[in-house]
Amino acid sequence: MSGLLALAAGRFYLRHPWQLALAVAGISLGVAVYVGVDLANDSARRAFELSTEVIRGQTTHRLLPVGGSLPERYFGELLRDGRVTRAAPIVEMPVRIGGNGGPRRTLLGVDPIKEAGFRDYSGFVPGRGADFTRLITEPGTVMVPDALAEEFSLETGSDIEIWLDGRLVSVEVVGTMRSVAASADTEPPLVTDISTAQQLVGSAGSLSRIDLALSPEQARSLGEDPPSGTILVAAAGQSDALTEMTRAFRTNLTALGLLALVVGMFLIYSTMAFSIVQRRPVIGVLRAIGVDRRQLLGSVLSEALVLGAAGSAIGLVLGEVLARGLVDMVLRTIGDLYFGNAVSAADPSNWIYARGAALGLGATLVAALGPAVDASRAAPDAALRRAALEQSTRSRANFAALLAVPVLVLAVSLLLIGSRSLVMAFAGLFFVLCVGAMLTPFATLLLMKAAEPVARRGFGLAGLMAVRGVGASLSRTGVATAALAVAVATVIGVGVMISSFRASVVSWLDTTLTADIYLTLDQPRAGRPFGSDLLAELSALPEVGSVAPTRYFRVRTAFGELGVRAAEPGPRGWGVDMVAGEEGGATAALEVRDAILVTEPISYRFGLGVGDAVRLPTDSGERPFTITGVFRDYSTGNNAFLLPLETYRRYWRDDGVTGVGVHLASGYDAPEAAQAIRATLADRTGVQFRTTEAIEEITLAVFDRTFRITEVLRWLAGSIAFLGILSAVLAIELERAREVAILRALGFSPRELATQILTRTGLLGVAAGMCAIPLGIALAGLLVHVINRRSFGWTMDLFITPAPVLLGVVLALVAAFFAGIYPALRGSRTGLDGALRDE
Amino acid sequence: MHRTMHQPNGIQIELAGVTKAYGEQVVLDGIDLAIADAEFLAVMGRSGSGKSTLLKLVGGLDTPDDGTVIHRGRSLNGMNEHERTHFRRASLGFVFQFFNLIPTLTVTENVCLPLDLNGTRAEETARRSSEILTELEIDGCAHRFPEELSGGEQQRAAIARALVHEPELIIADEPTGNLDIETAERVLETLSLSCRQRRTTLIVATHSREVAALADRTLRIRGGRLEVAAP
Repeated sequence: MSGLLALAAGRFYLRHPWQLALAVAGISLGVAVYVGVDLANDSARRAFELSTEVIRGQTTHRLLPVGGSLPERYFGELLRDGRVTRAAPIVEMPVRIGGNGGPRRTLLGVDPIKEAGFRDYSGFVPGRGADFTRLITEPGTVMVPDALAEEFSLETGSDIEIWLDGRLVSVEVVGTMRSVAASADTEPPLVTDISTAQQLVGSAGSLSRIDLALSPEQARSLGEDPPSGTILVAAAGQSDALTEMTRAFRTNLTALGLLALVVGMFLIYSTMAFSIVQRRPVIGVLRAIGVDRRQLLGSVLSEALVLGAAGSAIGLVLGEVLARGLVDMVLRTIGDLYFGNAVSAADPSNWIYARGAALGLGATLVAALGPAVDASRAAPDAALRRAALEQSTRSRANFAALLAVPVLVLAVSLLLIGSRSLVMAFAGLFFVLCVGAMLTPFATLLLMKAAEPVARRGFGLAGLMAVRGVGASLSRTGVATAALAVAVATVIGVGVMISSFRASVVSWLDTTLTADIYLTLDQPRAGRPFGSDLLAELSALPEVGSVAPTRYFRVRTAFGELGVRAAEPGPRGWGVDMVAGEEGGATAALEVRDAILVTEPISYRFGLGVGDAVRLPTDSGERPFTITGVFRDYSTGNNAFLLPLETYRRYWRDDGVTGVGVHLASGYDAPEAAQAIRATLADRTGVQFRTTEAIEEITLAVFDRTFRITEVLRWLAGSIAFLGILSAVLAIELERAREVAILRALGFSPRELATQILTRTGLLGVAAGMCAIPLGIALAGLLVHVINRRSFGWTMDLFITPAPVLLGVVLALVAAFFAGIYPALRGSRTGLDGALRDE
Repeated sequence: MHRTMHQPNGIQIELAGVTKAYGEQVVLDGIDLAIADAEFLAVMGRSGSGKSTLLKLVGGLDTPDDGTVIHRGRSLNGMNEHERTHFRRASLGFVFQFFNLIPTLTVTENVCLPLDLNGTRAEETARRSSEILTELEIDGCAHRFPEELSGGEQQRAAIARALVHEPELIIADEPTGNLDIETAERVLETLSLSCRQRRTTLIVATHSREVAALADRTLRIRGGRLEVAAP
């Protein structure tokens, strides 16, 4: 590229600093959102892996109880009969530090001698003053992670209170641990001797599990013939399902990040296109004096490269800042939804920065390519004529509208071909957005044509000029309006999706929560607190009409470890929202012998439908159960099946209960019944007590928290679009300085001029908003019926409420209106001589 | 330096049966014209008569619908875009009514642009640009931007840019149309004198009889046809 061409381009931006700033801001924001989301996601993914790794250690398999607890004697028997050579008994329980509201941690009861050389606790243990002897020999002693010791100012000899099993107990710290493998990336557990753990939980002789390091032969042998009432589970496999779920969540976030980048690309395209359109006369002169197409193309692309590099560099820094905010939201959501525990951030991969920079540069170059080719192809004389440009832009708007038809066919094909592929779904969604963007300039022309008579009647020639001004400057406004329409459609689409999802969850909660009060176990142990005596006591209360016990347990199936709920119907039925199955609903479906209902996500993920048989391990060996219905379930954690409690008791020979739904007698309300029930539960520990209202409140709070990040991202996309329209409107109006001066000379008052400019920019907003409504609703439909379905297996109803739609349109109007304020002020103050002297 | 050596007073440009229409409107209708080396040709006509179109066709900025434009025996119609660009770069200089200087380059940089495009060495570029700025008496504004110049100064800078690489042909479209009479006279004198000194062919589209009076030959376009203008 000629040095003088570069110099001319550089000076152009120096003379139009706001244009330079907006271009760089567009790239920066696009890159920042992508990098921020990617960093947060990667951090969350690594935190998740490290969390499982820390707990799992070198364990290859785990021996878990099928129901109830695992007798400790199994551990000795396995080693004695030589079936395993390396094993460690574990008692594990969630605790809260300092009290019921304190931070959650895991208390891991281990046998330090058995652990030596098996699980690399040496990585954890050699902290300050670690005293193994005291840990083994003295009851009520624990080792705490360094970070926790620091947070609570603990040292060897300190006492620490932990909330466990519904009560507060005090234990003594006999050392701290530092995790070498995981460093500060994850939350290491508190470690205690196994006998202390059993004593604290009150489960002498019972284990939570036995961790095993098995050869493939040992694993096969033990898997085929595990001790009675146990199941052998591969340590890695246990987290597969969670990995799958969190992956879907993160994919959605990444998609939103990419969406922001796409909107950012529109902005870059808009800015580049505009800066080139603005220089078309200059380009025409250059072409006339002998600058060839290759040189022009090179010049524009080099310009884009410089802008892209600057924008990407700033974007990486902003992305880092954004990630700090987002990572908390992501981790909290993943923790809320999938772990029931805190998950800490991990250092993200440096590749993300490289990817972000490459994307920023690549997106800028791709976005600039169109305008660059355009500039280089323009015939020298055409480049000199504005009319030729507008004429060709209008032709292109028509062509783009025609081209939208095959692109729409492509989008639909992608959605139909990959009927389960999330990537295909996002590709389809992207092309739907492209269709919207392609139709927007054409639709804008039509809308303005339709508005002409109204404008003329309402505002006379000034109104007519404003309306025609939009269409007459399509080369400047087309891309910006399309970008704004896409961004506003995103705001509408995501908003409608969230409100639809929320409404579906509310409706699902109404159906599911048939009881008035729910009692559940706070600790993952056998259903000891819910003995038949307690059920009888509860039933005897005058406030209680009936009780419906449930038993929740997890089983190893061909599809991985899944959750099963065994229940009895309450007075208001089973409380399930059937989406497929018997006509008579759940009651009819569960009347069939050995019938089981499957949740919608599991049904979708594993292709299980009505009539299929699923084999579950029972106490008397594996048995087939027939799926007689599919029901809606928006909970997480791999809840898979529902069967009658009676069936469970018959095949698992366990009368344990993990939850009780209390239905109140008529005439009693929840607060007074709650008091009576609390009194009955006074001396029972480990029972969680919640009213239906409280559950609904908590669920919706988690829901809202989950989607807060989505909200943040969609507003970021909206901000990028705002910058886009601001850039375009500023440029157009400043370019019209001469026209403004002529109007002033003709007698327009500054106020009339300002009104005209604001009307014109407002019309752009109206056009973008009008185009965004159908596009946003289509987007919402795709998010609800395709993306969510493929990500989580959920179906939900699409509720189009006015609020998110209106919000989007108002956003478009406000963005366009605000973008017009500065040009309006400047235009109204333009001096006549300066503007008219130009040519 | 790409100037082609040629015989004095040989035919440089030849138009044979050139026709150009915009939609239904035929602007040029079977024009035949020969322009000699070092000739100063003025083309007159009413607005919209086709003066600028004729200049564009001669300059290779546009192509005729019918007929041929020949430069030194080579048809511009037969050239591809790349060849036409290089023809313009080496052999042509343009002077526009609205000067069309690159606003983000100084006067010197604007003038250096054709030399830069033709690959002239830096020292040579500096020397020649300095010489022409001095010759056209605008060396005082060498480092100023176009917006800081008067109309006359801007047009002189545009003439300097058109002449600096010593093209065979200068095409000027209403070069004085945007200037006051006095300035216009001075600019035109400068342009014609510079061309004569260099034996550069000059084609000027103009409304001005004063301009036409300076030309070797004056033609008028009427109804798409060329006719010799009355003196």
